[in-house]
Amino acid sequence: MAKLELSEETKAEIEEVREADLLVAVAVPVDTEQLRAAATQAILGNSNPALTSLRTVVAFPGPTGAEALPQVGTELETAETDGGLRFVPYTLPSADPSRIPWLPAASTYQALFSMARDLKVSACAVIGFDLTALQTNFLAPMMSAVLEKRCQLAMPLYALGKFDGLLNSSMHAPLTRALYGRRVRFPLAPDFCLSSEMLPELEVALQRTIAQGQSIFWPATEAAIRDCTICQVHVETRHVPPADGVDLSTVLAQTVGPLFADMMTNAPLWQRIRGSQAVETLGTAVSPPADGAPADTTPMVETFQLGFRNLQEVWSLVLPPVTLLELKRLARPSTSRFHLPDELWVRIVYDFALAYRLRTISRTHLLGALTPLYLGWVASYALEVGNCSAADAEQRLEKLARAYEEGKPYLLSRWRWPDRFNP
Amino acid sequence: MWTQVSQSLHESMARVISRIATLLPGILAFILAVLFFAAIAWLLAWLVRTFLNAIRIDERLARGTNAIAEWSPTYTPTTLITRVVVWCVVLIGFLVGLEAFGASSDNLLSARLLGYIPNVVGAVVLLLLGNVIARFLSRSVLIGAVNMNLHYARLLSLGIKWLVLVLTAAMVLDHLSIGAAIVDLAFGILFGGIVLALALAVGLGSRDLVSRSLEREAARPAAETMPEEQFRHF
Repeated sequence: MAKLELSEETKAEIEEVREADLLVAVAVPVDTEQLRAAATQAILGNSNPALTSLRTVVAFPGPTGAEALPQVGTELETAETDGGLRFVPYTLPSADPSRIPWLPAASTYQALFSMARDLKVSACAVIGFDLTALQTNFLAPMMSAVLEKRCQLAMPLYALGKFDGLLNSSMHAPLTRALYGRRVRFPLAPDFCLSSEMLPELEVALQRTIAQGQSIFWPATEAAIRDCTICQVHVETRHVPPADGVDLSTVLAQTVGPLFADMMTNAPLWQRIRGSQAVETLGTAVSPPADGAPADTTPMVETFQLGFRNLQEVWSLVLPPVTLLELKRLARPSTSRFHLPDELWVRIVYDFALAYRLRTISRTHLLGALTPLYLGWVASYALEVGNCSAADAEQRLEKLARAYEEGKPYLLSRWRWPDRFNP
Repeated sequence: MWTQVSQSLHESMARVISRIATLLPGILAFILAVLFFAAIAWLLAWLVRTFLNAIRIDERLARGTNAIAEWSPTYTPTTLITRVVVWCVVLIGFLVGLEAFGASSDNLLSARLLGYIPNVVGAVVLLLLGNVIARFLSRSVLIGAVNMNLHYARLLSLGIKWLVLVLTAAMVLDHLSIGAAIVDLAFGILFGGIVLALALAVGLGSRDLVSRSLEREAARPAAETMPEEQFRHF
């Protein structure tokens, strides 16, 4: 992956600004007008004087150089007269067409953190996915966590419905918690804030991430490895991914693949960690959205059954016979009693992580073959929490996270002695 | 008469033994050449492995998804490159040995055999490549089709696999100069037949099915898509 170099124009803008207190780093392409309105409202229109008094720079991906001057120049002048806000455009790296468009690349974070370092800011707020974070009450509580509560990394605690963020709930969060010992609910959150002390740490981590060719950056994992202070802050923000565009298997491959790759890199570290610690949670809990119509799990169960009928030859290369036997029982056509036990799901994820490391089969095939199993977990979870409240569903996910921790000895054993007989 | 028969047998025996004796230097030269080149191959493999480890090629190629790792997941790039080098050198040794054998025997058969060796090597390489490609493509199609919820995923995957294998077999036979025009003709008929059969099956047999599916898709109300949106995976 190409390292993102800041353009001369961006460097000149930063030199002109010299110093700032806060960098609001927008990491995805956005509409310039909407950004200006949202940032002005979020910072200058905020009731918290601690935020409005900060000298703030908003870095956003936009056209730089001569072509951009007529459009951006007027905005800069207007913004500056409005208060301590300064807008600085930068160039995003050319996007890989197969990448998830709404997830910032690691090289983008690198450029933003380098800008934050040059500006000598006290805190940096990364805005990913879209402008929702700026349009809701996000910056004030997150900044308060970093500047007042001295958190080095503040991760958001989104108020999601029980059927939202399922990849995160089933794999990203519980796996990173079991591996790195910190209970961060959204380790791959697109929006987060960090203090100036975290910047050099994360820059080193990013250099390594980019050198290893990984495209996704896990700030919470890096902070946990470096024993930094992590906080979680309740926020109102709720992202809704566009329904069209990227299919599930692509999202799964592009987020779980880097997670498994990180496991390989950090193996000496996570093998020493046992259990997990809670991280400080700040702010007032926001009520999740109301439940919609009852969930229809039939298509997902059918995909799982179709996967079992067709992908056994692939799964048998990855999963031990006892797991395959349990999947066979599960694939029997009776959707009402469909239940994938947590222990089984955890073993499946751990075995896939091991197969990723050992390259048992092509990694593209491996992550593709995980999709029907994941849909099986979603169906099982949906049937279980269909009539529960969001709080009960959260308890259910906590149980799953504990199962990941309890299953860690299995992962350790398989990781250390992959050739040992495993019935 | 018995003396003449005995003499004739003795003479033929002597001729065969002398022929074998003339072949022996060639066989010895062949064995020596193969052993010598095998030793060189071993030395080169060690050098190549040391060099590749020094430049950390596995680590460099392991960044993201790389072609070598995707097509041959079991072996590291260093192992693969080392093995290719070893087998190339051993193959050269084999050819040198055969050349020495041919020069020493001065036999028409060995000369023909020698000329045929490149074809056999090419055919073996084609066969191996064809098998790897067929296996990779069939697995890709199978996983992709299952994730797209296609009930005929296995059929599709098998179809792809056999198409590639048939194509490979035709290329191998062509390379070996076996069957010549018959193989080309048979392959053309078989391949064309499969494509035509599929086109007819979709065009005629599944016409109603396709039109019904399209109509259903066009007439589907917005509310019907709700169940899929109930679950947000990211």
